[in-house]
Amino acid sequence: MSVGPLEAFWLVMRRELTLSFRRPEQLLQPLVFFLIVTTLFPLGLNLQLSLLRDMSPGVLWVAALLSSLLSLDALFKSDADDGTLEQLALGGQGLALIVTAKTCAHWLVSGAALVLVAPLVAIALNIPTDAFATMMLSLAMGTLTLSWLGAVGAGLTVGLRRGNVLLSLIVLPLAMPLLIFGAAATDRAISQVSAEGALYFLAALCVFTCTLAPFAATAALRITLE
Amino acid sequence: MMTHGSFWEMGGYARYVWPCFALAAVVLAWNVWSARRYHAAAQLRARRALIMEASVGDEQAS
Amino acid sequence: MWTWFYKLASPPYVYSLAGAFAPWFFGLAALTLGFGVIDGLGFAPPDYQQGDAFRIIYVHAPGAWMSTFIYTLMAVAGAIGLIWRIKMGHAVAAACAPIGASFTVLALVTGSLWGKPMWGTYWAWDPRLTSELILLFLYVGVLSLRPAFEDAARGDRAAALLAIVGVVNVPIIHYSVVWWNSLHQAATVAKFGKPSIDAAMLWPLLSMLLGCMLFFGAVLCVRLRGEVLNRERQASWVRQALQ
Repeated sequence: MSVGPLEAFWLVMRRELTLSFRRPEQLLQPLVFFLIVTTLFPLGLNLQLSLLRDMSPGVLWVAALLSSLLSLDALFKSDADDGTLEQLALGGQGLALIVTAKTCAHWLVSGAALVLVAPLVAIALNIPTDAFATMMLSLAMGTLTLSWLGAVGAGLTVGLRRGNVLLSLIVLPLAMPLLIFGAAATDRAISQVSAEGALYFLAALCVFTCTLAPFAATAALRITLE
Repeated sequence: MMTHGSFWEMGGYARYVWPCFALAAVVLAWNVWSARRYHAAAQLRARRALIMEASVGDEQAS
Repeated sequence: MWTWFYKLASPPYVYSLAGAFAPWFFGLAALTLGFGVIDGLGFAPPDYQQGDAFRIIYVHAPGAWMSTFIYTLMAVAGAIGLIWRIKMGHAVAAACAPIGASFTVLALVTGSLWGKPMWGTYWAWDPRLTSELILLFLYVGVLSLRPAFEDAARGDRAAALLAIVGVVNVPIIHYSVVWWNSLHQAATVAKFGKPSIDAAMLWPLLSMLLGCMLFFGAVLCVRLRGEVLNRERQASWVRQALQ
């Protein structure tokens, strides 16, 4: 029985989401990490509320980056370990489709979840509520870009010893422009200046990455699998 | 053309200019040393591999 | 002419060619670098704004140029290895990586030392400086990824893919001074029209640039021979070549 590409996409997505929700603690851990890391900064730096607000975009974004890295390691790992990935690749739908479905599912349970939790963290960092919309939009685009950059990195490092360290080493430099513009957008919103420029740039980075990264991630997996 | 004394002074910027040129010299020297070492190590490994191959061949022949 | 390109895919040919070229590259590099340093330090007139500190340009600008040139070459060589499965492409890419990283460090440190007297600070989170720092991290990534694989050929392919992904950073470095209001000065030589730098200052700079390119060629040849041997240990031509 043959399955159309769109159907295959949804099947893989559903599989990923089902598997993720079977282990809810694996979903929650990066989110908890995100909450803890953002708490570390005000505790460690002992700042007045106004200074905390100035630092908050950077703190928020660094924490989001680091917690996303935690969940990226698992993107291909378990499927590569037990051979499922190879079976999926041979399935006839093409590896690119599988990779896209997996990455989108990953973003839904990590990036999107992060965006929803962000207001809590924002309150802790004393970010004014009228900056929330820009902050969440920038985080949404940023985490999506990060999921794709992470897919490329995960594809290259799956199955390596110390793969997670290498993954961070590969993904973080590529994610730096993201950090710069994401934090800038939030910062502008806090200062009640137009964040449009930074948001457009972030959107451009997102579109650029989402267009090209699937090919790079698929190529990376082919190198690892063959 | 500067006078001999002012050459080393570099118009007061000596402590910025000379470390830069010193670092450049170090980088160039390191590159030469490192590349030579790399090639030498590769040659050594290749020679060893050839010797091993030859000795295995001798064992099989005898 | 195309037969020459085909020959470049042959390891023994590359090995002997690199061996023949290296001493010439070293010799010419020594001459041009020597001229550049002597002329730049001793004879070029001091800048009316920066005084003698501007002479740092004679090591900083070539270093920065080489850092991006070598990365681009590494990405192209890796792509050739990846797409056409030509092992010599991977050998060139592997040889480029440490050389390029060292030039990036040179560019960053000399830039920092130049920044202190000129801008009053050793570092600024300015687009060009930041993207050059990212370039260093990308080099480190490639240098770390290749040996992590047990299968050397797989490591080559992974490193090639990473290099290609990171090459996006290179145009960002070059155009950062155009696209953003950067602390770093805009292009003085590599632009259309007359270079906005005095001739007496320009010649030693061009000489240093040429010298660094020749030096890179020489070091690349030496490293490349090592890379070729490591990838071709079992081949029959190696015995001849090592006599």
